[in-house]
Amino acid sequence: MPVIEVRDLRKAYGDLHAVAGVSFDVAEGEVFGMLGPNGAGKTTTVEILEGLRIRDSGNVRVLGLDPAASGRELKRLVGVQLQQVALYPRLRVHEVISLFGSFYERQAHTDDLIAMMGLEDRRNARISELSGGQAQRLSVALAVVNEPQLVFLDEPSTGMDPQARRSLWDTIEGFKADGMTVVLTTHYMEEAERLCDRVAVMDHGRIIALDRPGALVRESFAEDAIEFVSTDGLTAEDLGGLASVTGATSQGSAHSVFSSDIPRTMGSLLALAQERDAPLESMRVRHATLEDVFLKLTGRTLRD
Amino acid sequence: MNALLPLFRANYREFVRDRTALFWTIAFPILFIGIFGIVLGRGDDGASYEVGLVVEDQSPQAATLREVLAGFEALELTEGERESEIGMLAEGERRAVVVVPRGFGPSINRDAPLPLQVHYDPSQQTTQQVVVPVLLRAFEVADRALTRTRPVVTAEFQTLQSERLQVIDFIMPGLIAMSVMNGGVFGAIAMVSLRERRVLRRLSATPLPAWALVGADVAFRMVVVLLQTILLVFLAVLIGGVSVKVENLPALAGVAVLGGLAFVAIGFFLGAFAKTEQGFFPIAQVITFPMLFLSGIFFPLDTMPDWIRPLVSAMPLTYLGDAMRQLMVGGAPVHSMTLNLGVLAVFLIVFFGLAVRLFKYE
Repeated sequence: MPVIEVRDLRKAYGDLHAVAGVSFDVAEGEVFGMLGPNGAGKTTTVEILEGLRIRDSGNVRVLGLDPAASGRELKRLVGVQLQQVALYPRLRVHEVISLFGSFYERQAHTDDLIAMMGLEDRRNARISELSGGQAQRLSVALAVVNEPQLVFLDEPSTGMDPQARRSLWDTIEGFKADGMTVVLTTHYMEEAERLCDRVAVMDHGRIIALDRPGALVRESFAEDAIEFVSTDGLTAEDLGGLASVTGATSQGSAHSVFSSDIPRTMGSLLALAQERDAPLESMRVRHATLEDVFLKLTGRTLRD
Repeated sequence: MNALLPLFRANYREFVRDRTALFWTIAFPILFIGIFGIVLGRGDDGASYEVGLVVEDQSPQAATLREVLAGFEALELTEGERESEIGMLAEGERRAVVVVPRGFGPSINRDAPLPLQVHYDPSQQTTQQVVVPVLLRAFEVADRALTRTRPVVTAEFQTLQSERLQVIDFIMPGLIAMSVMNGGVFGAIAMVSLRERRVLRRLSATPLPAWALVGADVAFRMVVVLLQTILLVFLAVLIGGVSVKVENLPALAGVAVLGGLAFVAIGFFLGAFAKTEQGFFPIAQVITFPMLFLSGIFFPLDTMPDWIRPLVSAMPLTYLGDAMRQLMVGGAPVHSMTLNLGVLAVFLIVFFGLAVRLFKYE
């Protein structure tokens, strides 16, 4: 039985259809990613699953419970990390952890959580003294204070520097190794690609693609990409006409050309640039990523 | 629910580690009391009480009365003109002024005795409890001295609010009521701040029931209100020299908590309209500030113009101030205690109900 079952979930705020018919399952022990730009409906979806918002329609089961009907029961079993929670400014790190622990029958040891999140030297710091990344790590620690079977992390790595982000990823992989099911929203591609067993790509309240990260990329692009910046002279149409090109996307003057045969495409691109006298800058060849998938599916980047 | 104590402790820590809040809730009322106490406070009450005697009648009966009064050691008699003696009373130099009216002696002979006029300040507890009974006793003695079997010496008691003596006793309970109001209404700022910081949202994702969250917060506010009240009563006695009715102190604590609950409920209600801590302040000020001046805290209600009375009657601080003044110094009641407590209870129930309805986690 799946840990989470969602069928045709809908939630509107006035005319805004924040979640417009979403269905998916999450299996036990899975790290399930929800990827999309701000306003795509990820947070609303997750908060309905957490019992923080009431859906308009659709069926939802989390750990076999309906969050709208058995919210309190569910909240005992799951862990939650929310965006932009500032916590009690004048409490100390260990005080906040024990406070949240006191809300549950099952509680992890405060110092274990502090060690897990690498906050040992900030144990006695006040919340108001924490850096953005430290506060974010604390909020992840609070999400597992009740040793939950299922944890929801809403953009957990926001505000972290690359090193802290990598160490958070190790922690989340640790959750998975402990048998926890993780639902993770993010707009970091790398995060989704590294952590998630499956990714739901959301836009405008809908899931527009759902698969393993690798499969999503392969499905959309069997190819590598040539990426470059060109300030004038080259249009998306020109690029689409190059040899062996399978697709092209442009963001202003930044272009990505996908190719089934990089040397041939490269040759014709260089010839075209020479003919038009168009500059080519920051050119590189790379693999296609989820970012490309998202851009292809929606015409927008994730951080729009 | 074993989260109540940790939540209470969290409130406590947030409170004592916030210097500004600490200043406003503890130091500010203390400063207030200190200033009023030093400016308006009176010295020690001696064993005898200064009483002015104005004799406007030259009859032997009036002379007898004078002798009798002079025989009472508790009364330190000063004789003078009516106008100057009443002036002294108003300035607090006299506890009471006894006027023997012109024609007092002849009126006794005519069997239609004129009453004596006694001016005093009723809000003065020692006057009310000591001087007036002594005077009444003196009049009884005078009656017998005038060899009449039925009372001929009667007194008409006329009240006058003296300034110096009265103000401190009048203001201290009011200041305490004010600090209860501020502690309650502004105490709600903690909740607004938690909501603004999305902590309430985060707490709503735990199994913690809302009643535990609110209960721990209210319990903490009440402890603050109680400690504040105890401290301020103590200071009122120490600095202001207010003679407090000790036997009423438990009841005073009860009234402080009832008033505190009513004002916390009002604060929670107001908090529903403020998105941020910054936004809460002006709203709370608009509600509390007029009450300071119109609820009889600094100015007695009977000096207020009639048109403002309905507004005054709608203010909860009016009832809290009156109840505290009655209990603490035996002030003259404006309303009955039942009405005072009843109105506070109604405010509590109505605003708590509204606050619950309007309560939002974010």
